[in-house]
Amino acid sequence: MNTGENSMSLLKLENVGYRYDSGNKILNGLDYTFEKGKMYAVTGKSGAGKTTLLSLISGLASPTEGSILFEGKDIKTIDRYHYRSRYVGVVFQQFNLLPHLNAVENVTLSMRASGKKFPDRQKRAMDMLSKVDLDENIVRRRILKLSGGEQQRVAIARALSYDPSIILADEPTGNLDLNTQKDIVDIFKRMAKDEGKCVIIVTHSPEVAKESDEIYELAPFSGKAAALG
Amino acid sequence: MFVIQNALKSIARSKGRNILIGIIVLAIAISSCVALAIKNAAAESEAAGLSAVKISGSIAVDRQKLLEAVSSSAGTDEDGSMDMGSMQEIMAQYPDLALDELLGYADSDFVEDFHYSETVSLSGTDDFVAYGAEEAAEAATGDEGNMRTGGFGGGQFGGEPVPIFGNNGMSMGDFSITGYSSESAMTEFVSGAAKITEGELFDMDSSDLSCLISEELAAINGLAIGDSFSLSNPSNEDEIYTFAVTGIYAGGDTGETGGGPQFSTAQDPANLICISYPAAASIVSNSESVGTSVTDIQGYERSSALSGQLAATFVFDNKADYDSFAEELGERGLSDYYTLSSSDISSYEASLVPLENLSGFATTLLLIVLAIGAVILIVVNIFNIRERKYEVGVLTAIGIKKGKVAMQFVTELLCVTLIAVILGAGIGAAISVPISNQLLASQIEQMQTQSQEQNQNFGRPGDFSQDEGPVQSGNGSFPGTIMLNAARTDAGYIDQINATVSPAILGELIGIGLLLTLLSSLAAVVFVLRYEPLKILANRT
Ligand SMILES: Nc1ncnc2c1ncn2[C@@H]1O[C@H](COP(=O)(O)OP(=O)(O)OP(=O)(O)O)[C@@H](O)[C@H]1O
Ligand SMILES: [Mg+2]
Repeated sequence: MNTGENSMSLLKLENVGYRYDSGNKILNGLDYTFEKGKMYAVTGKSGAGKTTLLSLISGLASPTEGSILFEGKDIKTIDRYHYRSRYVGVVFQQFNLLPHLNAVENVTLSMRASGKKFPDRQKRAMDMLSKVDLDENIVRRRILKLSGGEQQRVAIARALSYDPSIILADEPTGNLDLNTQKDIVDIFKRMAKDEGKCVIIVTHSPEVAKESDEIYELAPFSGKAAALG
Repeated sequence: MFVIQNALKSIARSKGRNILIGIIVLAIAISSCVALAIKNAAAESEAAGLSAVKISGSIAVDRQKLLEAVSSSAGTDEDGSMDMGSMQEIMAQYPDLALDELLGYADSDFVEDFHYSETVSLSGTDDFVAYGAEEAAEAATGDEGNMRTGGFGGGQFGGEPVPIFGNNGMSMGDFSITGYSSESAMTEFVSGAAKITEGELFDMDSSDLSCLISEELAAINGLAIGDSFSLSNPSNEDEIYTFAVTGIYAGGDTGETGGGPQFSTAQDPANLICISYPAAASIVSNSESVGTSVTDIQGYERSSALSGQLAATFVFDNKADYDSFAEELGERGLSDYYTLSSSDISSYEASLVPLENLSGFATTLLLIVLAIGAVILIVVNIFNIRERKYEVGVLTAIGIKKGKVAMQFVTELLCVTLIAVILGAGIGAAISVPISNQLLASQIEQMQTQSQEQNQNFGRPGDFSQDEGPVQSGNGSFPGTIMLNAARTDAGYIDQINATVSPAILGELIGIGLLLTLLSSLAAVVFVLRYEPLKILANRT
């Protein structure tokens, strides 16, 4: 089967389905592959299960059907904390930053959690933050005192900071003006093209989707779709 | 490293919460520290008190035990009352041990010294009168009621000596003549309570009737060194013994033992005449050989011969030897009805009572403080962790393992606790000595009030307890060296303790801190381990 270096995809979803404990089934029969060096867009209506899909890929939840393979291994069988802290960078829809820390501290915390060695952690964190257009004054402020767009950019800087091979972003441009949105998309694109990352972006924006190499349209699960009409 | 760094940063960030926890732990630490210091000091005083101190003890029939044995055996009548005949019979089977038996036991390796004395009671003659004899006569004639006390001791009636009988039907004279086996047997002189002021000690090994008399006796009888005087058998006026005065002593037991009324002039320490043991033994054996049969005032026939009262004392290097000897006595076949006892030990134990009470109080305090402290800390921690739910979610979502997050929370608590415990130990060390002594003082006061009330209930003056205390003076020589760690009140209670905070206590405190931390952070740990990051983050609004 797929044994060669080229043919083995970084991430592979095999017939993935997900049903919440409460019983409603959100995802069904997904067969997606994600390669290094490419940017993917995941689109779909609100409530289609995009965030749920990212939770499965990042190992925060386990698929109730099928399996997700990372470098050929089912992520059920690997240490998912280790996997998340080193190989996956997530920009959460709700950011999930620590409100009492400032931007730099939030970034360096993730860098330390990854267990990877960086020659100058502070400097790298600052570089990442200035890449997303946050100045010195903002990055020393507690997260609580930042605007939604600023928080979103801190979350992006955090996801990139520890050099993960997969970058997951849940509507990373939702709170940004068009110019900043374009800058951010450029950053993600360069991550894929120049650094060989696998970038997966959930978005409602056609402009963002247009920039990606491939688009996965997440159709609402049929049972639910029928109900919706 | 990661965990510790995060913990320290987190502590610095949430000062209010940590100061609150710190104050709670500080209060627990201070009270635990004082309680531990008290317990420790009490235990030390108890252990050190007798371990390195000479103890004297004696063997006596345990009447209590014998009585119990008699009443539980067939010795009771059908109506349940004691059969006096069988009682006396059994008592007779267990007489006081004779000197050669005692000497046999004294061979033991555990016995450091053995000394004994024999006391006989003799009456005065025309040329030699007892100190205080007139007062006694006046009391006897002046108060009819006093006559009834005659059964206990001697006195003079109408100027003529009247034989009065002691416990065993023996007649009592006005003087106690005590023969000592060695200088160490003369405890009053050893302790310094009595002192030879003129002349010298008689020859301990000689059976010559050479003696020491008190200054008082010498004065009222006009005797000087080298003079002699005569005493007679109270039951036989013709049996005369003549003593030569080799020395005069001052002091001695000043008669305040017990403070009770005196029944006989022979009990007045001024009327104690000291001779050697061989001399006393020769008086007794001579008296036996010349003894005749007489009828006492109660109409019983008995011998007029003097009988001596033997008092034998074993001296031990320490409490351990004392205990070993007590065990050995049983092994060597001494009946259970004889027991080794020591006033040194019983008075020391009595002196420890307030300290033991205090120690018990300290234990209770410790347990209550720990229980309440643990509950408060657990509650505070549960509230904390609920507040920090989101933090747990974020930390685990970025890939920090739940165990590490839990460890971080425990470390935070541990740092705060340790600082508070060390601070508490410092404060506790500073205040434990005054506080424990204050507590001890109130404990003693309480006990004295109690015994005072008891005395009043028995119609005795209330302030009696002050001199009496729990320590029956007995031989009076409580070794002063016992108070290594403690001092005592006049009443004999230990009223000062050295409740210091030793490294051992510090260790115990840190142990308590660790235990409290682990216990109270258990809630945090359970919480962190139970929740999935996704759920925590999803529940956030
Ligand atoms: N914990 C949960 N328990 C039960 N149902 C849930 C839970 N979380 C989400 N859902 C449901 O699952 C469906 C998919 O949710 P999800 O957050 O993945 O949607 P989404 O595609 O990201 O939507 P949006 O574009 O609005 O972010 C929704 O209908 C939502 O109500
Ligand atoms: Mg979503």
